[in-house]
Amino acid sequence: MENTRKSTKRLATARELQQIVAGFYLECHEAKRTGKPVGWMPPMNGLIEIFYAMDLQPAFPENWSPVCAAFGLTDKNYQAAESMGFSPDLCGYLRNCVGYINGMMGTEEVPLGGLPEPDMIFMPGGGCVPTMKNFQYIARRFPGAKVFKADLPQVPIENIQRYHIDYALNEINRIVAFLTEVTGRKLDHDRLREVVRLSDQACALWDEITAYRRYIPTPISAAEVGLMFVMVTRQGTQLAVDYLARVRDEVRERAEKGTGIIAEEKVRLFWDNIPLWYNLGLFNYFEKYGGVVVAETYSAAWSIRLDVDKPFEALAMKSLMSYPMVSCVSMKRRKEMVLRACRDYHIDGVILHSNKSCLPITLGQMDIKRALQEEIGVPSVVIEADHMDPANFSMAQFEARADAFMEMLLERKGRSR
Amino acid sequence: MTDSIGLTRMPIDLGHFAEAVTNRTERLFRHAEKQKIFGWFCTYTPIELIHAAGFLPVRIYGGMIRVEQAGSLVPNFVCPYMRTSLERALRGEYKYLSGVIQGYTCDVPCGMMNIWEENTGLGLFHTVPLPYNADESARAYYRHTLNELIDKLAGAGGRIGSTSLGRSLDLYAEIRSNLLRLHELRFRNIFVPSASDFYIILEAGFSLPPEEYLKHLTNLTGAIETKTATQENGIPVLVSGSLVEQLWIFDLLEAAGGRVVADDLCNGYRFCEPADGSGTDPIDRLIDRYIHRFPCPARSTIEDRVPRVRELVERSGAKGVIFLFQKFCTPHLADYPALAGELKNDGVPVLQVEMDESGNIEGQLKTRFEAFFEMIRG
Repeated sequence: MENTRKSTKRLATARELQQIVAGFYLECHEAKRTGKPVGWMPPMNGLIEIFYAMDLQPAFPENWSPVCAAFGLTDKNYQAAESMGFSPDLCGYLRNCVGYINGMMGTEEVPLGGLPEPDMIFMPGGGCVPTMKNFQYIARRFPGAKVFKADLPQVPIENIQRYHIDYALNEINRIVAFLTEVTGRKLDHDRLREVVRLSDQACALWDEITAYRRYIPTPISAAEVGLMFVMVTRQGTQLAVDYLARVRDEVRERAEKGTGIIAEEKVRLFWDNIPLWYNLGLFNYFEKYGGVVVAETYSAAWSIRLDVDKPFEALAMKSLMSYPMVSCVSMKRRKEMVLRACRDYHIDGVILHSNKSCLPITLGQMDIKRALQEEIGVPSVVIEADHMDPANFSMAQFEARADAFMEMLLERKGRSR
Repeated sequence: MTDSIGLTRMPIDLGHFAEAVTNRTERLFRHAEKQKIFGWFCTYTPIELIHAAGFLPVRIYGGMIRVEQAGSLVPNFVCPYMRTSLERALRGEYKYLSGVIQGYTCDVPCGMMNIWEENTGLGLFHTVPLPYNADESARAYYRHTLNELIDKLAGAGGRIGSTSLGRSLDLYAEIRSNLLRLHELRFRNIFVPSASDFYIILEAGFSLPPEEYLKHLTNLTGAIETKTATQENGIPVLVSGSLVEQLWIFDLLEAAGGRVVADDLCNGYRFCEPADGSGTDPIDRLIDRYIHRFPCPARSTIEDRVPRVRELVERSGAKGVIFLFQKFCTPHLADYPALAGELKNDGVPVLQVEMDESGNIEGQLKTRFEAFFEMIRG
């Protein structure tokens, strides 16, 4: 049984994504060629908007990992990492990235040209430990790059106070000063306001698209999760807004016409935790039972509106909220979010991906499971896997659990296959 | 005194320390009747503030225990310390705690705080969102986080004034100074207990009232200061990792021909260094100490750690470094390739060992330790 499989996408706009991904990497290399400074940074913070506002090129090593998974490059990268002494128990993003930068990077076998070498590196103090360590290794690998050690408080969203925001604002000001010093470019505040407006517009469209998941049948499923590439790499650009508007139009049209993902949608599912990037086809697995994975936790990270009148503060808030929203930092908020999604999207069952590559999202899942059962009576199943490493995933075991779960859900709904 | 493999051992009276460790749970249940106790996981927790508020800070212990109930709440790829300590909490062994206070370091304790809060019924849970940097703005931010903790402690019935905080800072500074003195005397072969005895001395301090612990510690260091260096057998090594609660591993290491002369552990040197900070007021002093503390991989860069560990190797005369990792410990496993690589470049041999929660690794460990020491001996 194959551990890896691509998803079947139903949206025509989702099929455009391949060009968008290729276009992004092309742009990164073009930037390098023309002398536009390239900065490597973690995702889910306000750096991207500052970069676009200053006409600098952002690049995202963490986002490169799912691309490697899609192209089947991860095995070689893991081998390179393990030969350096990295334990296979470490996060797949970390192992893939350090293996890549110390292995195949720059060789002809890398599709899309891979990541261009960084001129600047943003080494974070927030987010998860593997991300922190990843950027520390990146800084070791590229000693010629200018390094910014960025701080970010790790606070549950419900506990964010003025002093956390002020500290995040202080970091943004330091970043702007650093960028000005390193690149000689100045931040145009009107341009930043425009980028933040575009960023907020993308979030609004994102919310609009995800809201169509309320429809029965759903016009969009988790198999289209790749759409978030534009939120990770293009937030704050017209390109993201235009693309998401096209996705929204298509989803709206499908919703209005009652076009679902499959012919007869019988069971609506929710996926908690990061998808298996090497096996997005898993989202289609449930279709033989009439099951559709209507929604997933990860997309909530991009559901944060930005106050256009206060662009710096908006970016500070985005930076403070994105990671806690989907991790164990803000367990209460995350549990509320999953329960609300299950209510809003009329979910029949939840798949909890116990993810060996991501403890911050996995911890607390059993409390979510209990709350699902006790508070809203929604059953759930735990699937043991790994969002990056197929070695930690067994298709046979997945099928056994998924089959039993789907049969139980169908029985609950009083139907038979 | 000579042990079975011929190592010279210093006879020391561990009575008070060993008793504190052995009878920890019973003693703390009794203690909680007269004073509130707050637990902590990580040495970045500002325990001085908890003490200054009139409470007893106690490190949460995991140790060896079969994980049953905790297994239904957390996956098996969480480090043994976090799983076994949760198991004890679910069995009611931590009912004497009035809550848990933690500094945000590793992702796992952060997530476990929520699981503890949801499942143990203890009162206050608070994580201090520590800064990553050390500049003026980070210090100002740090002050806010500590003021927030002070408010939380006040909500739990604590009262902190600058005098009480000053006293607590003095107390812990003296404890840490004494412990650093023991480390220093160990470097110089003047204080040569078995490693398990050494860490029992430290472990006792994580649960005894600090005033009482300091008395025992002062008596111990006073008695040792008068001794002279001895010629010791066994290959001197530094051990590095997070926590080593399974002290039998040290016995195994020493029986295989090694001798622990220094450490880079949470329940060792990292708790102690530096003894104190300096500042214009007690909060400044506290911040200064924690900002300059011996770095942990969860809260620092590899570049910060390498020179500090290298310096410890040099000062202690260690001929090798043994990395004793809790299985699945991301911060330490992630730093390992770079740190081990730098040490190897210095000509320092390294060995990596992972400790799981079963403890069924004795046979394999013995062979690996013996082979490592044999290799160093040449």
